[in-house]
Amino acid sequence: MRVNSKENIRVEEIENPVNKKRKVTDDTKSGKLGSQNDKKQSDFADILENLQDDAEQSSAESGQVWARPRIPKFEPMVDSVIFQQIDLEEASIPGAEPFIRMHGVTQEGFSVLANVSGFLPYLYIAAPRGFTAEDSEGFSGYLNASFGNNGKSIVSAIDIHNRRSLWGYRGDEISPFIKITFVDQRSMTRVRGCFERGEIHFRDFFDDAIQTYESNISYDLRFMIDKKVVGMSWIECPGGAYNLKQSASKVSKAQLEFDIHHKDIIAYPADGEWQKMAPLRILSFDIECAGRQGIFPEPHIDPVIQIANMVTRQGETKPFIRNVFTLKSCAHIAGSQVLSFEDETKMLQAWRDFIEEADPDVIIGYNIANFDIPYLMDRAKALKATKFAYLGRMKNVKSEVGSSHFSSKAYGTRDSKQTNMEGRLQLDLLQLIQREHKLRSYSLNSVCAEFLGEQKEDVHHSIITELQNGTPESRRRLAVYCLKDAYLPQRLLDRLMSLVNQTEMARVTGVPFNYLLAKGQSIKVMSQICRQSQVHGYLVPALRVEGSDDQYEGATVIEPRRGYFDVPITTLDFSSLYPSIMMAHNLCYTTLLDSHTVERLQLKEGVDYIKTPNNDMFVTSDKRKGLLPVVLQDLISARKRARADIKNEKDPFRRAVLDGRQLALKVSANSVYGFTGATIGKLPCLPISSSTTAYGRRMIERTKEEVESHYKVSNNYSHDAEVVYGDTDSVMIKFGCKDLETAMKLGAEAAGVISSKFPNPIKLEFEKVYYPYLLINKKRYAGLYWTGLEKYDKMDTKGIETVRRDNCRLVGTVITTCLHKMLIDRDVKAAEDYTKNVISELLQNKVDMSQLVITKALTKTEYDAKQAHVCLAERMRKRDAGSAPALGDRVAYVIVKGSKGAAAYERSEDPLYVLENNVPIDTKYYLENQLSKPLLRIFEPILGEKAGSLLTGDHTRTITVATPSVGGLMKFAVKTVTCLGCKAPIRGSEAAVCKNCKSKAGELYQKQVSSVSALQVQFARLWTQCQRCQGSLHQDVICTNKDCNIFYMRQRSKFEVASAVNTLDRFDDDNSW
Amino acid sequence: MLEARMSEAGTLKKVLDAVRDLISDANWECNEDGISLQAMDNSHVALVTVHLSQDAFEPYRCDRNMPLGINLGSLTKVIKCAKDNDLVTLKADDSGESLGLTFESSNTDRIGEYSIKLLDIDQEHLGIPTTQYDSVISMPSAEFQRICRDLSQLGESIRVEASKEGIRFSVEGDVGKASVLLKQSSGRGIEREEESEEEEEEEEEEDDDEDVKPNVDDEDNDDVKPKDKKRKSAKGGNKKKKAKKAKKEVVEDGVSISLQQQVSLTFSLKYLNNFTRSTPLSSRVTLSLSKDIPLLLEYEFGAGHIKYFLAPKIGDEDAE
Repeated sequence: MRVNSKENIRVEEIENPVNKKRKVTDDTKSGKLGSQNDKKQSDFADILENLQDDAEQSSAESGQVWARPRIPKFEPMVDSVIFQQIDLEEASIPGAEPFIRMHGVTQEGFSVLANVSGFLPYLYIAAPRGFTAEDSEGFSGYLNASFGNNGKSIVSAIDIHNRRSLWGYRGDEISPFIKITFVDQRSMTRVRGCFERGEIHFRDFFDDAIQTYESNISYDLRFMIDKKVVGMSWIECPGGAYNLKQSASKVSKAQLEFDIHHKDIIAYPADGEWQKMAPLRILSFDIECAGRQGIFPEPHIDPVIQIANMVTRQGETKPFIRNVFTLKSCAHIAGSQVLSFEDETKMLQAWRDFIEEADPDVIIGYNIANFDIPYLMDRAKALKATKFAYLGRMKNVKSEVGSSHFSSKAYGTRDSKQTNMEGRLQLDLLQLIQREHKLRSYSLNSVCAEFLGEQKEDVHHSIITELQNGTPESRRRLAVYCLKDAYLPQRLLDRLMSLVNQTEMARVTGVPFNYLLAKGQSIKVMSQICRQSQVHGYLVPALRVEGSDDQYEGATVIEPRRGYFDVPITTLDFSSLYPSIMMAHNLCYTTLLDSHTVERLQLKEGVDYIKTPNNDMFVTSDKRKGLLPVVLQDLISARKRARADIKNEKDPFRRAVLDGRQLALKVSANSVYGFTGATIGKLPCLPISSSTTAYGRRMIERTKEEVESHYKVSNNYSHDAEVVYGDTDSVMIKFGCKDLETAMKLGAEAAGVISSKFPNPIKLEFEKVYYPYLLINKKRYAGLYWTGLEKYDKMDTKGIETVRRDNCRLVGTVITTCLHKMLIDRDVKAAEDYTKNVISELLQNKVDMSQLVITKALTKTEYDAKQAHVCLAERMRKRDAGSAPALGDRVAYVIVKGSKGAAAYERSEDPLYVLENNVPIDTKYYLENQLSKPLLRIFEPILGEKAGSLLTGDHTRTITVATPSVGGLMKFAVKTVTCLGCKAPIRGSEAAVCKNCKSKAGELYQKQVSSVSALQVQFARLWTQCQRCQGSLHQDVICTNKDCNIFYMRQRSKFEVASAVNTLDRFDDDNSW
Repeated sequence: MLEARMSEAGTLKKVLDAVRDLISDANWECNEDGISLQAMDNSHVALVTVHLSQDAFEPYRCDRNMPLGINLGSLTKVIKCAKDNDLVTLKADDSGESLGLTFESSNTDRIGEYSIKLLDIDQEHLGIPTTQYDSVISMPSAEFQRICRDLSQLGESIRVEASKEGIRFSVEGDVGKASVLLKQSSGRGIEREEESEEEEEEEEEEDDDEDVKPNVDDEDNDDVKPKDKKRKSAKGGNKKKKAKKAKKEVVEDGVSISLQQQVSLTFSLKYLNNFTRSTPLSSRVTLSLSKDIPLLLEYEFGAGHIKYFLAPKIGDEDAE
C-alpha cells in the first residue's frame, strides 16, 4: 500500500565521488555507521527463499496448498462439533425469527457456520402495582394489537420474574418485573421507545414514561451474555443436536454448516484447556498501484498492478502460502508463487478466487481498512468486475465499503472505512498501533523500525509506475518489495502479540472480537456489568443519557519540592488505586443511597451506610455487597491467578496468552471507574466516580501526613522524612538516609504501616527507589529506578521531552543523553560538555536533518490560527498536489531561515526540499524555541543560575550558514572565492589561498584531501547501507524514506562530497604554490 | 592586527542601523582598503554591501586581511553606548577572538572600553557581478524614503518604471492604488506629481486603464515615442474626468535620469523600506535598473558607501 509519498523522486544516480587523490582514512563517523551495520538486514529475497526451505522442504514450490484440509467422514448424529467462534452476527430473514450466525474454526482447521435459532430479544419493565400473571395474556394481546403487522403478533411471551434494579439501594426486598419477549429486534426497539415516551396505556397500569431494563443491548451481545459466550470462545454442538446442511442448501462457503437450537449449544468459559486457539488462517496482504506522476492513485483511473499475499496458520511461525499476483509478466521469485496476468480484471478475479480457496479467518495488513480494501473494491467496480465483491464467507452477501466515524475520549476521533466480510475478522495493524502506541510517525517503516528494529525500503509511487513499465526483472523487484510489505504486518502481529492479546481482551470482557477495534471502552464494561447482574439477579436500566459537561474534581498532586536529590527517594504506590477504593468503600450502583431511603429504612451513618468525602451515601457491604466491587474482585483475583500461572508456565505460547490475559484484566479493572464517570456512556453515575477520586485525594494527603509524622527524629529515626512529591496514586518520600538499603527497608516498612491505616483491600506498596532523582515540576521528573540493591533497573522519566512528539528528535536525544550522563554516570560536567557540543554542531549545521524534523498531524483543513504544518501542507499542495500531505497524515517539516520578523509558520519547509536545495536551517530557532527550555529545565535544578551559559557560551561562536540554490537573488549571485586559510575573498590568480596564507598551502591541501576521502568513505558506507536495506548490492538505491535517518544522511553526504571535491579541485587550478 | 579610529561614532551607528534588520551575523572583511561587509539577508532575496574606506579612519592600520565575524545585534548594543560625536577606535588582534571598541568623548575625559566576542562564521561569500544598467536614477534619499513609506500603505509590491518622461512608482492593493511620478528636473528642483485613488473611484478608473493606458506587458517592446504620447493623453483624460488630489511640489535637489532603455520592474516594498534606513547617511540615492536584473540601490557618504541589491519579482512570484 502506498500511502506515504514524496514529490519528484530522484533516482539516485550513483555519482562517483571523484576517486582521484582518494585516501582511505578512518572516519570519525564510521563508528556511528558501524553500529547501523551491525543490525545487518539480509536480503528479503533470501528470507523468502529460506521460508520456503523451512516450510516445505519436500513439496515443490508451486505445491503450496491453498485450500483447507478435507473433512474426514463423520457421523452428525454422534460426533460433536467443537469450534472456536470468531465472528457472531445477527441474521434475519424477513418474516422469520431472528437468529445468530456463528462463524468459527475447529481445532483441525475446518471452517464452521452455525445458525443458532430460537433466541429471542426481550426487555424488562417494573411490574406496576396490581399487575398479576393473569394480566399477561391481555397485555400481550394489547401489544400485538397496537404494534402487530397485519394481525401478526410481535410478542412471543410475557412472564413475571422477581428481580432488583441495579440502580440504587432501596432495601433488600425483591420486586416483580415483567419480561416481554419479542419475535424480533425491531419490534422490541419500537415498544421500548413507546414505553419510554409514555405511549403505552394498558388498563390504567401505565400512564407515565416507563423505565425499561436490559433493553439497550444489541441482539448479538444479548445472546452472548445470556448464553455465557465470550468473544473468541469455544463452543460445542453435541452430536445429534444439529442439522448438518448439504452443499446445495448451504448459504455459506464454510465446510460445515448446520442449524442448531440455542438451548443445545455448550459454551466453554475461556479457562484451562479452552484457552487454546484454533489454527486460524491469517492472511496478510498488500497491493501496489501504478499512479500517475504527482497524483495519488485514484481507483477509477489507476490500475492495481500487484497483490502480495502471505497466509499463516495461527501458532506457526512461517507463512505457508506466499504468492504475488502481478499484472504483466514477472521474473521468478524463489520462495514465492508468481501469478501473472495480462488483464487486470482477470487478476482481481483470480485474487478473489484465491481468497475463497485459501479462506482466511483473519485478514490483516497495514492501512488495509482505509486504503487497500476500499481501493480494490472501487477498482473492481470501475472495471465492472461484478463478481469481485463477494469477499466474505456468505455466498450471497456482497462486501461493501462504508464509512464510520469513531469518537472516543480515550482514543480520539477518527474517520475510517469499513468493509463487511462475513466470517472473516479484519485487523488493520495501523489502526491497532495508532490506538495502543503513541509514535512520532505511523508509517509502516517507522513502526517497523520501532517494533522490529529494522528499516524498510520506501519506494515512491512514481517509481512504482516506472518499475511496472519496465522489464519482468524490474517487476520482480517491485514484487519482492510488495511481498515484504505483505510480510511485515504479519511479523508485527507476531511481535506485538496482537491477535493473542486482543483475543484475551475479548474473552475477559466478553465482547465479540470485532467490537474491540470498532468500539470504545464502555461496551466492554457494560458487557461485564450485564453478565454479573444476571448472576446476582439485577436488571440493568436502559438510561436515556443526555451528554452533560459536568466536570468533577480529578486526582490530586502534592506540590513538588523541585530540585536534584542525590539521596534515595522512596516511592510508594497504591496498587490499582481506584478499583481498590471502590471495593473498600463498597461503591456501586446497587449500594447508592438517597436521603429518602435513609429515612424510610432508618439507616444509621457509619453502621449501615457511609458518607463519602463527596457527600454521597452508599450502604456498607454488611447491608449489601455491591456489584461493581464483585466485578472488580473477580477481575483482580483473575489477574492474580494469571500472573501466578505465568510463573509456572513453561510453554512460551501459553505464557504469552496469560500475559495478554493479565494485561486485559488490568485494563478492564481500571476502566470500570472511567465507565461510571463517562457522562455520555451507557450508565453514568457521577456519585461513584467523584467519590472515588475524592477518596483518592484524601488518601494521598493522609499518606503524606502519616509518613511525615511517623518518620521523625523524635520517633528515633535518623532523619525527618519528607514527602517531596505525590501524584494520583503514588508518593515520593525522602527518608533522609544516604544508602539504598535503608531507603528500601524504610519503604517496605512504611508501606506496611500505612496500608494498615486504610480499609481492605487498599494497599500501599513499596515498589521502587529513585536514586538520584531530578524533580522538575508537576508530572515532570526523572530518576534512576532501583528495585534491587545490585543494579538499577532503568532510567525513568515522566513528562520530559524524551518522549513528546511535538518537538524535533534532537530535543529527545539531547535530553535523554544528558539525563543518562547526569543520573547514571553521575557526571554533570560531561552532560554540560555534551550539550555544548551539540549546540555548537547545531549552529555549524552539522546536525543531521532527521534530528530536526518536527512532525504534526494534519487533523483538519481549517485552523483558526496559522500553524506551521498547515501552511506547509498548503504550500506543498501548490508545488505538487500529489505528494502533499493529506488530512490525517503527519506532516514533517523543518524551520528554515527567513526574513526578519517572519513568523515560524511562514518558515516551515519540507525536509526533502530543504535537502535538495540546501536551504539554510534556522539554527537559532532550534536553539531558542526547541532546545533551550527543556535544557534549562533539567539543568537549572543542578547548576542554578549558571545554566544559562549553556546556551550562550563560547561554543556558540562558530556558525555556518548554508547557501541555498533557491531564493530571489540566488540566480544572480556569484560566489566569490574565499581563501581556504583565512576566508578572505580572493582576487586574481590565486585560486585556493590568499597570499597571506600561502605558506600554509601545503597543510591546507593535506587537510582538504583527507576531508574529501573521509566524506567519500562515509558516502560509500551510507550507500551500501541503503543497498543492504533494499536487499541488493547490484542495484541503485531508489528509496526516499522520509522516516529514515540514513536517507537524510545519504542525501546530505552526497552533497558534501560533491562540494568538497570542488574545493579540492581549486588546488589544481592554483599553480602558485 | 587592526586598529582604526573614526572621528564620529554616529556614522557607525547609522551604518549599523542600515543593515542590522537584514543581516544578523556577518563577516566584516578588513584589509588595506578599509572595512567592508558583504552578505545576503536570511531569505536570500537581498544582498548588502557596506564599505568603509580607510580614508574614513585616522589612523588606519590593517596588517593583513582579516574577517571579523560579528553578531550585529551585539555590536549595535555596544555602539549605542557611544555618543554620536565620540571618537571610536576599533581594535582586533590576530587571534580573532574579540573586537575592542574604545569611545572617547571629545570634550570630556571619559573613555569607555568595550569588547565583543567574535564569531567564526562559515558562509559562502556571494556577490552580484557588475553590469551596465539600462537606466540609472539619482534622487534625494528622503524623497525615495517617503515614496516607499507612502506606497507601502497600499500594497506590498512596487512597480518602478523609468522612461524618458521620468520615473514612476506605482502600487496596487486591496484598498486602492497609487502612483508617484518624478520628472527629470531641468536645473534644480524636481517636479513631483502624485495621484492616488481610493476604492470608490477604482471602478471608473479601470475602464480608463483599458482605454488609454498601454498594456504593461507590451511596454518593453514598444517604441518609446508612441508610448509617451499615450501616457500623456492618459493623464490628460484623468485630470478632466475626475477631481484628483494632484499637486506639484518642488524639492531642493533634482532627479537625474540617465536612460539607455526604458525599464519596468516590480519589487517587494518590505525590502525597499528596509533599505531606506540608510537615508540618514546620505542625501542622495542612486537606483540602477535593468530588465530582469536585480535593482542596485546605492548610498554614498563621506566615509564610504552602502549598496543594496534586490531581486525583482517575476511572474507568478507576484501572487505570493
